[in-house]
Amino acid sequence: MSYGLSVFKSNGSVGFSTADVTWQTLDQFTVSANATVSNTYSEASGMTIIAQRQLVNVPPNSQEDYVPNVTISGTTVTVSPQSGVSSSQCIVHVLAQDT
Amino acid sequence: MSYGFEAINNNGKVIINDTIENLHFLGKATRGGSNSDYADFPTYSGAFDSLIGRVIHYYTITCTGTPIVFIKPNDYSRWHGVIKQSVNGTTWSIDVIVSGTSTSNPPDLYCFVNANDVPSSTENYGMQVFKSNGTTKTFDSRKQPLAITGGGNVIAPTDPTNSTGLPTSTGGHPWNYATNDHDFRCSNKYNQYSNTNIDTTDTMFSCPSLAQAVYKRRMDGFKQSQAYGQPTQNHYSTAQWFCMYRSAFRLRSNYFDAGWAVYAAGYSFSSSFEDGGWFGGGGGSYSTGTMPYDPKTINLQTNAYIIADSSRYD
Repeated sequence: MSYGLSVFKSNGSVGFSTADVTWQTLDQFTVSANATVSNTYSEASGMTIIAQRQLVNVPPNSQEDYVPNVTISGTTVTVSPQSGVSSSQCIVHVLAQDT
Repeated sequence: MSYGFEAINNNGKVIINDTIENLHFLGKATRGGSNSDYADFPTYSGAFDSLIGRVIHYYTITCTGTPIVFIKPNDYSRWHGVIKQSVNGTTWSIDVIVSGTSTSNPPDLYCFVNANDVPSSTENYGMQVFKSNGTTKTFDSRKQPLAITGGGNVIAPTDPTNSTGLPTSTGGHPWNYATNDHDFRCSNKYNQYSNTNIDTTDTMFSCPSLAQAVYKRRMDGFKQSQAYGQPTQNHYSTAQWFCMYRSAFRLRSNYFDAGWAVYAAGYSFSSSFEDGGWFGGGGGSYSTGTMPYDPKTINLQTNAYIIADSSRYD
């Protein structure tokens, strides 16, 4: 490389460099059933934000298990139940990428 | 910036700084066992019996943080999805559904967390970046930071079943009629998304399974008989097949597919006839499985997926 940054491992191979692309992590939290959570991440201003949801303790064959909705407005991420239904406990990862 | 650290990649985008944390490789989750079922409808044999099947593999990994899980298929022809992630203390349990019934070639789960949640490294070579508080690491080159190769947004089709149109409930069938006419397999119902960075050697993906669906086919049968000098005697029957699905994903060369995997299934049959006529009243029934809720697809929302090269972390 003629410019940029390469960080090497002790064996001499490149571990990470400015040729790479990544998503960084802003937050991770668990939302209780039927709860609404709203967080603002000002440090991610100008970046693309996504929220990955993962259901917790999905009971096999026994109930409708609704994941909460996620809305992203600017740097504010809001997690809330879908309209008219109860939402289940859910893990939320908030990721950011400079785009 | 007036102070701190920032690394800009070849595309002019920030990939390391001192305010937002990078993800780092925690390790591979340990597989503890698996459960295989639903090659076909339980207790039913006849037309459209096959369901292809599914395996649920059970994994654990210990971590103080909340891991982001990447699935590295070891059989890229099969559908995969993380259907559950829960924690007890610092032990995370992760359940992965895989289409088919063979428990061989289970996927590997690569887990990523913040640098502070990765166990300490004895290596004294590399680079660390801290937040302004001086204690929270945003980056640690010794702990294999996550580099991705692509991603996008995906959604599965609403109808998971191979047959055209959703299964229905119909009457007017002969008494005791129980021949399924709907293909509940889900192998050809998916949306494909082009991604030239996907190969079927080392690509792994992160995209939790959120969508669920339940559908049934019900057939009501009827017959009326009458013996000489006797009142009419009605005979009723009901045959019902149901299948529950979870969204699942498949990696093909240059494509990311969003589709479904069978999660559970059941079959029930009942038959009865009124008192009087040729015989006295009576009947019987049996069933396997309990349909979890009325037929519908839920949680069908656009979902972000991320892909990366697993070989960087082996």
